[in-house]
Amino acid sequence: MNTAIPTAAITSGLRLDQCAKGANVRVVNLIEQPLFGAQDEHVSLRLKELGFLPGAPLKVIGFGLLGADPLAVQVNGTKFALRRAEAAKICVEPISI
Amino acid sequence: MSAVPIRLALVGNPNCGKTSLFNRLTGARAKVANYPGVTVERRSGMVTALENPAELVDLPGTYSLFVTSPDEQVARDVILGQLAGERRPDLLVAVVDACNLRLGLRLVLELRSLNRPMVLALNQMDEARRRGISINTAALSQAIGIPIIETVAVNSQGVTELRKVLDSYAQQPPIPNGEQVLTLSDRQESVEALYDQIESLIKQHVIQPAEFPRWQDRLDAVVMHPVLGLVVLFTTLLVIFQAVFAWATPAVDLIDGAFAALGEGVAGTLPDGILKDFIVDGLIAGVGGVLVFLPQILILFLFILILEDTGYLTRAAFLLDRPMRELGLSGRSFIPLLSSFACAVPGIMATRTIADPRERFITIMVAPLMTCSARLPVYALIIAAFIPQQTVWGIFNLQGLTLFVLYFAGVVSAALIAWFMRRRAAREEFPLLLELPSYRWPMAYHLLIGLRERAWIFLRRVGTIILALSIVLWFLATFPGAPEGATQPAIDYSFAGQLGHFMQPLFAPLGFNWQMCIALIPAMGAREVAVSALATVYAVGEESIDAALGATLAASWSLPVAYAYLAWFVYAPQCISTIAVVKRETNSAKATTFFTIYLFALAYFAAWATYQIASAIVN
Ligand SMILES: Nc1nc2c(ncn2[C@@H]2O[C@H](COP(=O)(O)OP(=O)(O)OP(=O)(O)O)[C@@H](O)[C@H]2O)c(=O)[nH]1
Ligand SMILES: [Mg+2]
Repeated sequence: MNTAIPTAAITSGLRLDQCAKGANVRVVNLIEQPLFGAQDEHVSLRLKELGFLPGAPLKVIGFGLLGADPLAVQVNGTKFALRRAEAAKICVEPISI
Repeated sequence: MSAVPIRLALVGNPNCGKTSLFNRLTGARAKVANYPGVTVERRSGMVTALENPAELVDLPGTYSLFVTSPDEQVARDVILGQLAGERRPDLLVAVVDACNLRLGLRLVLELRSLNRPMVLALNQMDEARRRGISINTAALSQAIGIPIIETVAVNSQGVTELRKVLDSYAQQPPIPNGEQVLTLSDRQESVEALYDQIESLIKQHVIQPAEFPRWQDRLDAVVMHPVLGLVVLFTTLLVIFQAVFAWATPAVDLIDGAFAALGEGVAGTLPDGILKDFIVDGLIAGVGGVLVFLPQILILFLFILILEDTGYLTRAAFLLDRPMRELGLSGRSFIPLLSSFACAVPGIMATRTIADPRERFITIMVAPLMTCSARLPVYALIIAAFIPQQTVWGIFNLQGLTLFVLYFAGVVSAALIAWFMRRRAAREEFPLLLELPSYRWPMAYHLLIGLRERAWIFLRRVGTIILALSIVLWFLATFPGAPEGATQPAIDYSFAGQLGHFMQPLFAPLGFNWQMCIALIPAMGAREVAVSALATVYAVGEESIDAALGATLAASWSLPVAYAYLAWFVYAPQCISTIAVVKRETNSAKATTFFTIYLFALAYFAAWATYQIASAIVN
């Protein structure tokens, strides 16, 4: 799959794993995560299937104890627990409400 | 009317209410709980109250046909008809949680591309209305070209209509269209296109408030708080252990008293002889000894059921994910491991929700170290006999605390073993991606059904395997009788006595006497039988039956021996059914052999170490 990082991600440069608790953000795109190795593409697709698609509004609702990992995120009214590894695949931009 | 029943399959996201609907439609009582991944195996039943026969298959939940874990694979295999010897379903009954419309509709649209007959049950409509979600079902149905029936699976609203629709299909089975194959490129193409479609469907036909119910978010702020959350978790666990001991006592005393009275009554009325011995020593002592633990088991299950039904479990999994990852496990292994406190068999089945094969393997290997409810009677008996009833640090019941320590020992050992088994070599990461379902008030109906089910399972075990083993043991402990002019007690000459004496040298380093050795054998069939076996062996050996088993043990075992016996049961004797399910789920004789041997070795070592250390301290 073509995973070249589009300009939007480079300019804002913010990833979901860097967001603070309570942050309201919007997905810009998904990028590669070498930790997942050969499966990375499947992880991207699963994330998209769960609603982490460009344009989707997200809200960070909490963190685990050690290393603030995993994080809990609300997307389309559903809450998911993601690890930092997955969250780092998701480029976001802040939205003001 | 067709002779062959039409075959229907329930498909949908995890936790959308498939099994609740299945239970309504077929009258089954399959397990329902508020977390994703409750159902991990297909299960079928006939739909009741239909004119035409229809077989319904309940499936594990899945987010997509492109599956990531063994339970999702089961769903996919059934939907696509890829299981040998099983017909592909004639009609898919898609279930969508109305509060989680996007995720549900996505799967439905993906299924639609298979070009197969399908109806849609829009479930959890009660909750959707409460949240102010309003859906124009007729228009939505028209737009996607699939009949939609609004349902509330928990109170059977809409289920009659659903039955009617299913019946019409059963009467005139749909003609299968050409099969559609799914490929990865379809998937890439479809993901974004489908969501565009969904957004426009939702814009046109659904009015959805943007807000998530406030109280849920407030609760999450506490329960999922990195520090407060752990305080909540450990407090909950401690309360459960206290309750198992403190609350059960009156009921336990009642049952105990009833069996003692029964034993005395029978002993008083029956003439002396073999029949009286059999009934008093074999049946009443053996079965009563186990039955007495029913209240404790029910209290334990009540708490587990409440936790399962509220939606709290996934939050606990969230909090524990990171610490568990250090051990080669993850938040995903939490629920299988927690289920193993009830029984390791469903716990090991539940590991199918784990995508990472290595993690799944480790979880299976350590699951039996979680103290299952069948071990509770053994612990409870020995604790009650040896640990004084007293209050420590103002609030804790010492017996409850001891029980907590035993459970804790199992958990800590599991952690250590998982840590040892974790491969040092770098391995691929697997994502967590765990859905955190909405909280729900636990339903009294579910709790009652669940408890009745547990009570029934326990009573059935008592009535069948435990009773049978007690009878066999009584015979072995009674025959052959003592020879003329015997100097030892009669039981020493019986088969059981001989076997016990034969085994005893092997267990001598652990301090076990021959009665304890005997009890280990039937415990392989069902662990509770250790209790009834001890009851029978001591009752046959003793002349009087009025001494309670606990008192007998307290008089004949030393404290280090009692501790060693407890240590043995923390690790050991995985029952036969656990070994069988490990064989089935790992599909490897090598893994099963390893599993069996390592647990036995561990039990032996732990009991030996406990005995030696405790003896050194006592002396
Ligand atoms: N309020 C409400 N709750 C429901 C309804 N249907 C199901 N539930 C609840 O939703 C939760 C999940 O139900 P299940 O029937 O176990 O869901 P499932 O789809 O079989 O879940 P998995 O087997 O995990 O895929 C349970 O707590 C049910 O009580 C409904 O119509 N209304
Ligand atoms: Mg289910």
